[in-house]
Amino acid sequence: MTMYDPTVDQRVDKALANDFLRLATRRATDRLRNNRVKAAEELGDWQKWREAGETIRTHVVANLDFYLKQLITQIEKQGGHVHLAKTPAEAVTFVKNIVREHKAKNVIKSKSMISEEIHLNHALEDEGSTVIETDLGEYIIQIAGEPPSHIIVPAMHKTRQQVADLFEPIAGHPLTSDTPTLTRFVRNKMRESFLQGEIGITGCNFAVADTGSIVMVTNEGNGRMVSTLPRVQITLMGMERLVPSFRELDVMLNLLARSATGQKFSSYTTILTPPKQASDPDGPEEFHLVILDHNRSEILGDKTFRPALNCIRCGACFNVCPVYRQIGGHAYGSVYAGPIGAVITPLLENDWYKWGHLPFFSSLCGACSEACPVRLPLHDLLVKLRARKVVGGHTPKIEHQIFKTYRFFFTHEKTLRKALRLGSKLQWPLVRNGRISVGIPPLSNWTNSRTLPKVSPKSFMQMWSELNRN
Amino acid sequence: MTNTNEFISLLASKLGRPTPTQAPEPVAINVPQYRSSTRKDRASLFLDNWHALGGKGMIVKSPEETMQCLKEWFGDQQATWPNKQQAIVAWDMLPTVAEFAFAALEWPLVRYSQEAQSSPDRYSLAAQAELGVTGADWGIALSGTLVVNSSPQRGRAVSLLPPLHLAFIEASKLRDNLFDVLEELTSLGMPPSAIEMISGPSRTSDIEMDLSIGVHGPIEVYVIVIDD
Ligand code: SF4
Repeated sequence: MTMYDPTVDQRVDKALANDFLRLATRRATDRLRNNRVKAAEELGDWQKWREAGETIRTHVVANLDFYLKQLITQIEKQGGHVHLAKTPAEAVTFVKNIVREHKAKNVIKSKSMISEEIHLNHALEDEGSTVIETDLGEYIIQIAGEPPSHIIVPAMHKTRQQVADLFEPIAGHPLTSDTPTLTRFVRNKMRESFLQGEIGITGCNFAVADTGSIVMVTNEGNGRMVSTLPRVQITLMGMERLVPSFRELDVMLNLLARSATGQKFSSYTTILTPPKQASDPDGPEEFHLVILDHNRSEILGDKTFRPALNCIRCGACFNVCPVYRQIGGHAYGSVYAGPIGAVITPLLENDWYKWGHLPFFSSLCGACSEACPVRLPLHDLLVKLRARKVVGGHTPKIEHQIFKTYRFFFTHEKTLRKALRLGSKLQWPLVRNGRISVGIPPLSNWTNSRTLPKVSPKSFMQMWSELNRN
Repeated sequence: MTNTNEFISLLASKLGRPTPTQAPEPVAINVPQYRSSTRKDRASLFLDNWHALGGKGMIVKSPEETMQCLKEWFGDQQATWPNKQQAIVAWDMLPTVAEFAFAALEWPLVRYSQEAQSSPDRYSLAAQAELGVTGADWGIALSGTLVVNSSPQRGRAVSLLPPLHLAFIEASKLRDNLFDVLEELTSLGMPPSAIEMISGPSRTSDIEMDLSIGVHGPIEVYVIVIDD
C-alpha cells in the first residue's frame, strides 16, 4: 500500500510550472512581510508585544474550558443561541437547520476560515439557498470554484485578467481589467446582495468570554454589512479563539493587524455583542454562535502540540516560508496552507495518508517561528510531527528500508568501505556530465527531479588515513 | 447534539483537571504604551494618522469654522445632489456645533432612526444617501481610529452605507491608544450591541495586491475635531 496520496506530487508539479502563480506569490508575500516588519518596528519593543501575545494565548488555552463556559453562559443570557459542534458535519447541520427554519434564500457571508474547514457553501447551495461570499478575494475564488491560496489574500494566485474574465459573465458586458473597474463592479453588484441578505454568516477573530462579544476584523466593510443588515446572524468560531476580556484585546488586535497586513489596525475592527437591543434601529434580531471542535480537543490534550492552538491566523508565517513562497497555497491541498497549515492539518484531519506530506513542506529554517506574533515554535512542531509520523508507522516501506540499509552500512565500517569502492567502479552507466542523473527505481525517485554527485574514486575515509600517514 | 456540560468536561479532562469554578487570575500585560505629552500633540497625531489612511480631517474652534469646513468639503457636490432632502442621513443627535452648522447652511438632515418604520426602509434610506453624519465616542491617536458605540438613537448603517462618512468628535474624547479606550469601555459595564472601530475608508488589496479604496463601505471619510 502507498503511504501517501499521489496527488501531492501532481499539485506541486502544477504549482512549479505556473510562473505567474510563483511570481505573484513571491511579490505579494514580500510586500506583506515588509509591511509587517515596518508596522512592528513602529510600535516599538515588538518582542515585548509578542511575549504578551504568547502569554495571553497560552493562558486562554490552558483555561479553555473555563472561558468557553463563561462565553456560552454570557451569550445565552443575552438571548443568543450557542451550538457546539464536535465535527464539521455537525457544524454544517446546525447552520443548515437555521437556514431551513428561516426559509432563507439569500445568505451573505463574510470571511470565515471555519466555513472553509467545514465546507459550508456547497452544503447550503444543495439546500437551494444562494450563498454569496462578500469579501472581494473570497468572491473571486467562489466564482472560480477554488479554495483560498492565502489565509489573508485568498485570491493571491489570480491575475487581474482572470478576475475580469470571471466577472464578465455575471456583469453581462465586457469589463476592463483595471482595479477600479473591477472593484466598482463588485461594489454595485454586492450592494443588492447586502440589502437582500436574510441571514448573515460571519467569522470570528476573537470572542470575549466575559462580555459574550465577537470581534471581527475586516478592511472592506463587508463584515460590518453582514453583521448589521440581515435579521439573523450566524457566527462560526473555532473553539480556541477566545480572550478573557476587553483588556487583552489591545495586545491581540495590535499583533493581528500589524502581522497580517502591516496596518496599525484594519479599516474596521468591530466588537459585536448581539443580538441587537430591542430599540436599536439596526443589527440582527437573532444570533447564533456555532463553536467548532473538530479535534481541537485532541490537540488540547496533547501537550506537545497544544501550543498550535495559540495561533491567531494572521498569515505572517506564510509570507516568510521559502516553501510557501515557491508553490503557493493550493499545492498544500489543505484548507490551511503555510507553516501553520502544515502543523494543524494532520492534527485536525487525523489522516496521515492524505496529510502526512505536510510536515515535510518545510525547510525547517525557522523563519516562520520568528515571524509569528504569538511566538509559536512552528519549525519545532514540524520536526515533532515528522517524528510522530515515523513512530506511528505512517511512512512508506521503502523509506523504512532505506533508513535500515543506511543504518547498517554506517555501523559496519568495513562493509561501507567495500561498498564505496565497488560503487565508484560500477556507477558509470548512471553518470552523465559528472553527476548521477539517470536512475533506476528506487533511485529514480531522487534522480527524476535532481542529480546526485557521483561516488568519488577515493573515499573520504581513504583520504583521511592518507593525510594522517603523511 | 452535544450539551454544554459534556463539551466542557471533555476539555477539562484533556487539560487533566476539573474546570475552575473561579475566574483564573488575569495575566499581567507588560507592553510599552504610547503616551502623548500634550492634548495638542494627541490631536495632531490623530489627524496625521487619519490623513495617512486617506481620510480628510480638520480641527475647528467655532460653529463658523465648522460651516466653513463643511462648505469647503461638500459645498460643490451638495449643489449637484439630485435629492437634497434625502441626501444627508444622520444620527438623531449630533454634537451642538454640528447641528448648528447644518441648520445654518440649510442642509436638511434625515434622521436615520426616525424617518422610516422598518429596517429595510431605513437601509434603503441610508443606501441612497450621499453622506452619512455621526458623532464618535473616542478617537485613538496612535492609529487614527474612530470608536463608535451603537445605541437606539444611532444607526450603525449611517457610517456604513453612504459613500461618504463624516464624523464629529470632541478633542476631549481623543485617547492615546486602544488600551485606554478599552479600559473606559470596560468601566461602562455591559457593552452596546456594536462598537465600530473605523480606521479610514473601506479598502482592499485582493486583486494583484493593488490597493483600492471603497469596495463596500464608505469611499471617502471625513472627521471634524471639535476643540472643546
Ligand atoms: S502560526 Fe503564528 S504566524 Fe502563523 S498564522 Fe498563526 S499566529 Fe500567524
